[in-house]
Amino acid sequence: MTASRVTPWIAALVLLAAVIASLFLGRVNVSPVDLVQGMLSPNASLAGLVVTELRLPRAVLAILVGASLGLSGSVLQGLLRNPLAEPGLLGVGNGAALGAVLSIYYGLSTAFPLTTPLLGLVGAVLAGGLTFAFGGRSTLTLILAGSAVSGLTLAILALALNFAPNPYAGYEMNIWMLGSLSEKSWDHIALAAPFIVAGLAILATMGRAVDALSLGEVQATSLGIDLDRTRILALLGVGLSVGAATSVTGSIGFIGLVAPHLVRPFVGHQPSRTLLPSALLGAALLLAADIATRMINTESELRLGVVTSLVGAPFFFWLVVRLRKVAP
Amino acid sequence: MMARALRSLASGVAAAALALSQPAAAAPQRRPMHIMSMTLCADLLLLQLAPRDRIASVTYLAHDGAEALFPGADAGIAVNHGTAEDIIVERPDLILSDDFSSAVTRRLARRIGAPLVVVRDARTFEDIRKEVRLVGAAVGEPARAEALVARIDADLAALAAKPGRPPRRVVAWGGGDSVPGRDTLSDRIIEAAGAVNVAARPGLGYTSFDVEQLLMADPDAVLFGGGGVVKPSLRDDAGQHRAIRQRYAGRRIVFNDTAHTCGLPQSVRSALDLRRALDALPDRRPVR
Repeated sequence: MTASRVTPWIAALVLLAAVIASLFLGRVNVSPVDLVQGMLSPNASLAGLVVTELRLPRAVLAILVGASLGLSGSVLQGLLRNPLAEPGLLGVGNGAALGAVLSIYYGLSTAFPLTTPLLGLVGAVLAGGLTFAFGGRSTLTLILAGSAVSGLTLAILALALNFAPNPYAGYEMNIWMLGSLSEKSWDHIALAAPFIVAGLAILATMGRAVDALSLGEVQATSLGIDLDRTRILALLGVGLSVGAATSVTGSIGFIGLVAPHLVRPFVGHQPSRTLLPSALLGAALLLAADIATRMINTESELRLGVVTSLVGAPFFFWLVVRLRKVAP
Repeated sequence: MMARALRSLASGVAAAALALSQPAAAAPQRRPMHIMSMTLCADLLLLQLAPRDRIASVTYLAHDGAEALFPGADAGIAVNHGTAEDIIVERPDLILSDDFSSAVTRRLARRIGAPLVVVRDARTFEDIRKEVRLVGAAVGEPARAEALVARIDADLAALAAKPGRPPRRVVAWGGGDSVPGRDTLSDRIIEAAGAVNVAARPGLGYTSFDVEQLLMADPDAVLFGGGGVVKPSLRDDAGQHRAIRQRYAGRRIVFNDTAHTCGLPQSVRSALDLRRALDALPDRRPVR
C-alpha cells in the first residue's frame, strides 16, 4: 500500500484518538469509569450529562469545523495555486463573523435564534460573492479582491465594535471573535451542520478541477474544466462550510493553512489527494487545540482561536523560510 | 418572583423618594448645583441622592440601569459620554468619576475649579455605605445619604433576623468567561442571602467557570442576570445551553445585573430578593 493510500487512514486514526481524548479530558476531572457508565446508563447522571451534552457535541462540532477549515484550505491552495491560501483569504470567515456579530448585538438572535448562523452565512456568501465579483477573472485578482473584502469586513466589524450598545457588549464581541467551542451544544450543531455538510459535499467534488488547475489555467480549460464554474463552486463550498462554522464558533485561524501542508509530504503533490487527509487532519488539529484550551488551567478561558494562532503563526514562518529555500 | 421583584422595586423607589423629600438638615452652605457624573455606578448613586435640578448630566449608560431600579428617575436629565469634552461643554461644579478617569479629565476638572470625587467599585456592603456617604457629602446631601445607609442596615438586619434554611449552593452565571467568585459584590450578596457561591475559590475574583464546572459543582440553582445595562448578548445564548435547560428547569433565578455590578442600596435589596427566591425553591435529590 502506498503512502498516499495509507495517509487518510493514519489521519483518521489520529482523529479517532483525538475524539476519545476529548471525551475523557475536561476542566473537571471525571473518572473514565463514571463517564462510560454515564454514557451507557439510561438514567440521568452528572457524568452522563457532561459527556453526552457537553463533551460529545463539542467533539462533533470540532470535527465539522476542523474538517471545513482543512478541506477549504486544501481546495483553495489547489484552486489558487498558492501555498499560503486559506479560507480567510477570500474574506468569507470575516464576512461570517460580521453577520453573526450583527445578529447577536443588535438583538436579532434574541427574537429568532436561527438568525445568528443565517446572518453568518449571508455574511460569508456576500463576502465571497463580492470577492468573486471583483476578482473572479484570474487567480491573482481573486486573491487581491479577497484581501480587500477581508479588510472591508474587518473595518465594518470594528465599526460594530465602536457602536456596541454598551461596554459589556463590546467586550463580549471581542471575546467571541477569538473563537471557542466552549458552551456549544447539539442545538448549535443542528443549526450549522446542514450548511457545513452541504459545503463539504461541494468541496469534496472538486478533486479533478484542482488537479487540472495545478497544470495552469489554460491547460485546465483545455482539459474541459469550466474555470468560472469551478471558482463559483469553491466559493460556495467554502462560504457554506466555513461561513456556518465561523458563525457558530467565532474566528479560528491557521487550521486551513496548516492542515494541507502537513499532509502534502505524505500524499505527494497531486492536489486531489490532499483533500480527504486535510479534512481529517484539520478536524484532529482543531480537537487537539480544543483539548489544550481545557487542560491549560488559566483564570480566564484560553480561547481556541488564540491557541490555533499561537501554534499556526510559527508554522507560517517555517513555511516562508522553506519557500525561500526552494524559490529560484 | 416577578411580582416580588416589582414590589421590591416599588418599595425601593418609595424609599428613594422619601429620602429625596427629607429636608437636608446637615447640608453645607454652598451645595454644588451643576453636578456631572461620568461613570455608571456614580450615576445611580447621584440619582438617588441629589434632586434632578442639580444634576447636570449622567452617562448614556444610566438610563437602562435607572429603568431597572427606579424607573423615571433620570427623566429630563442630560446625558454625557464620559469624555473630557463633555466637561468643557457642561462646566459642572462637581464631577463624579471613577479610578479610571483620564489625566485630561482630571486636568480639565482642576482648570474649571470643579472638585473631582472618585467613586470606587464596591465589593462589600461596608464599601457601599462608604460610597453612599462619600457621594452624599460631596453633593451636599448627607442626610439623604444617611437615610439610604439606614435602609441598607435595615435590609441587612432583616436578612440576619431570619436565617435561611440550610444554605443553598448557587452560582451567578452568564457564560463561563467571567463568573463572580470570592471577593466580589455578587459573592457578598449570595452570602448575605444565606447561600453559598460554588464559583468562589480562594484568591480569585471574577473567574472562568465553564458549563462543565457548573454541572459538576451541582448547585441547587443558577442565577442569571437580567434587565439593567446588559442588553441581549451571548450570555443569553450560553444560559440556554441544553444541559443547563435540562438540569436547571425551574431552578433558574433572575437577578438584577445593575444591583450586582454597582454597589447600591439596591444591592442589599437584591440579597433579600434572592433569599425569598431560594426559600421558594423546592428540595431536590442530588444526582450523581
